[in-house]
Amino acid sequence: MRDLLTVAFFTIKDMVKRKSFIISNIIIILIIVLLFNIPNILKLLDNGEGTSSNDKLLLVDSENIFEGNLEVIKQMDLGYEVEISNEEVSFDEIKEKITNGEIDDALILNSNNGKISMEYIVENLMYVEEVPETLVNAISSIYTNMQIAKLNLTEEELKSMSPEFEFSLKQTEEEKVEGNVAVMMLLSMALFFAIYYCAYQVSTSITVEKTSKIIETLVTSTSPRSIVLGKTIGIGLVGLIQIAVYLIVALICKEVFLEPGVIDSIINFNNVTPFLIGMTLLYFLLGYAAYALLYALTGSTVSKPEDVQSANGPVAILVIIGFYLAYFTMMNPTSNLNIIASILPISSPFCMPLRIMMGIAETKDIILSIGVLLLTIIIVAKVSIRIYSNAILNYGSKIGLKDIVRMYKNKNG
Amino acid sequence: MGLVVHDVKKSYGDKTVVDGISFEMNHPGVFGLLGTNGAGKTTTIRMILGILKKDSGEINWNGKKVERKNVNFGYLPEERGIYPKIKIIDQLTYFAKLKGMKEGPAKEEIKKWAEKLKVSDYLEMTAEKLSKGNQQKIQFIASILHSPELIILDEPFSGLDPVNTELLKNVIIELVKEGKYIIMSSHQMSSIEEFCTEVLILNKGKTVLQGNLNDIKSKYPANRISVIVDRNIDNIIKDLALEIYIEKDNNYEIKIQSEEDGYKLFKELSNQDVKVTKFEIKKPSLNDIFIEKVGE
Repeated sequence: MRDLLTVAFFTIKDMVKRKSFIISNIIIILIIVLLFNIPNILKLLDNGEGTSSNDKLLLVDSENIFEGNLEVIKQMDLGYEVEISNEEVSFDEIKEKITNGEIDDALILNSNNGKISMEYIVENLMYVEEVPETLVNAISSIYTNMQIAKLNLTEEELKSMSPEFEFSLKQTEEEKVEGNVAVMMLLSMALFFAIYYCAYQVSTSITVEKTSKIIETLVTSTSPRSIVLGKTIGIGLVGLIQIAVYLIVALICKEVFLEPGVIDSIINFNNVTPFLIGMTLLYFLLGYAAYALLYALTGSTVSKPEDVQSANGPVAILVIIGFYLAYFTMMNPTSNLNIIASILPISSPFCMPLRIMMGIAETKDIILSIGVLLLTIIIVAKVSIRIYSNAILNYGSKIGLKDIVRMYKNKNG
Repeated sequence: MGLVVHDVKKSYGDKTVVDGISFEMNHPGVFGLLGTNGAGKTTTIRMILGILKKDSGEINWNGKKVERKNVNFGYLPEERGIYPKIKIIDQLTYFAKLKGMKEGPAKEEIKKWAEKLKVSDYLEMTAEKLSKGNQQKIQFIASILHSPELIILDEPFSGLDPVNTELLKNVIIELVKEGKYIIMSSHQMSSIEEFCTEVLILNKGKTVLQGNLNDIKSKYPANRISVIVDRNIDNIIKDLALEIYIEKDNNYEIKIQSEEDGYKLFKELSNQDVKVTKFEIKKPSLNDIFIEKVGE
């Protein structure tokens, strides 16, 4: 136990002192700060151009079709800063105004044999296929109200024309799914990268010790069990601290840089319970441990640094299969396949936290999933340590699957 | 007491790497383990260290069976390796802690040994900035920091310059005086001859020669004469039907079949008034014996 902690602390100290570690973390923290500042940056850019974020629209009603009723449109939240002109404005004049930046676009209204034509003018039609629907609906509504007003209807008649609708949503499935799918996917990807990145570090660390021959001294100083588990714990703790630091930075950024309510419109914080946070961290640690121990196995079989990629390939494929199984079944979270993905040890770390977040994970499934994952970790640890003991001092030719099986059968160390 | 290795065997598949070797170290000193590349030295060392399981036989230290869990021997491997990007003091402390030392005493020991091996200035540096020789001295410190009773040194002098070789030799002499048991594996026969009283020569996993070095050498007849004279004596040597091994500036190394050949040469040199500065009838060196035993 003492050796295990010595290896773990040495691994932590070695990792956090590395320049690459410090630089990559500074970059990630800067990216987090930058992401939380995107709204502010956009605002700053708009202010720099001296305009508001809304498009400046010139609404031309030279024939006075709307009899002055168009003023109402200025109060509507359509995303336009509207200027109304009852004078005739030529195409060239509008072009000049757009070029000068006085307006962004213009809408010219004309009556034509009982019909009202709308001519929408913008600088470039590349991203415009039709007259914006919001403008069309708003203008139609103003025109309809204007015509209705002319009919001199009673209040009751008017009320009957526009009843108050009530809206509600229901589903036929029994389970209720909560949360934003995009956020879920993002969390799944974050878990995948965190687990993959941290687990891969274990393999790298073991390979470096083997290829640089440090292992000769190390393996006579402590047991393979202490080396493998100590490294796994050390790197896992560093990963956990990194996640905690990123979350704290994100929370500080949310408070400092974002206007209240921006994040709440994306993430329902009522769903982010201490239970969910605890379970997400637990799944990160368990998922990491399972994959890290597999990487310890492949890392110990490498004799030359250039063989690291090919040796780690099978584990990388397993992680990716696990991730995609969770990711794609998440499109239909109530399906049986998603339940299976949340229990299978290769995919459960990427899947179960999301089911918990959506409020559809049953307690028995969570217990089963954690149990299966723990059992997997114990089996993988036993196999990895035994193969590590046999493979770590083998500098010969490349170790294949047959050799690994033979090494597992050999109870050395 | 001490180390007992009895009829130890190890195979990988069909290939027998160590085939029933036995030896004992009953008192402190340096034991020479010799052999060509692939003779089974490293496998034997790993089995003594308890990091490789033997197929059969016994390895006991002070009467107890050697296992990974219960041994704390010192080991300087032939394959040199230290963490390149970690400070020397940090990695030495790490190894000392793994060997059961506490941080405070470990750092004191590190400073003591660093001074002795003249590497104190490098303790705060990362290993990648050190020369190969200094890296080797650091690794030597790592192997003896915890004051083990048995120390295994695999090629301890390879890569060291003469000054550092001398430095390390003095430390080894000191360790023996302190009562340490040392197993030394080396291809430098002069080093083995200098330190070892007992040797074992392995060839293809089997013991081909074993015992007290002086006893072994005494069993071999003299095979060379070393002569320094004042003039060329090629003709005299030829007349006696002897063979010149090496000749440089009237310094001769001559092959002989028996000591009798030596006496004949000495008599002839005297008869012909040759001034002799040096005349030595030599027994075969360990190098000669090694080549004879393991050379194909």
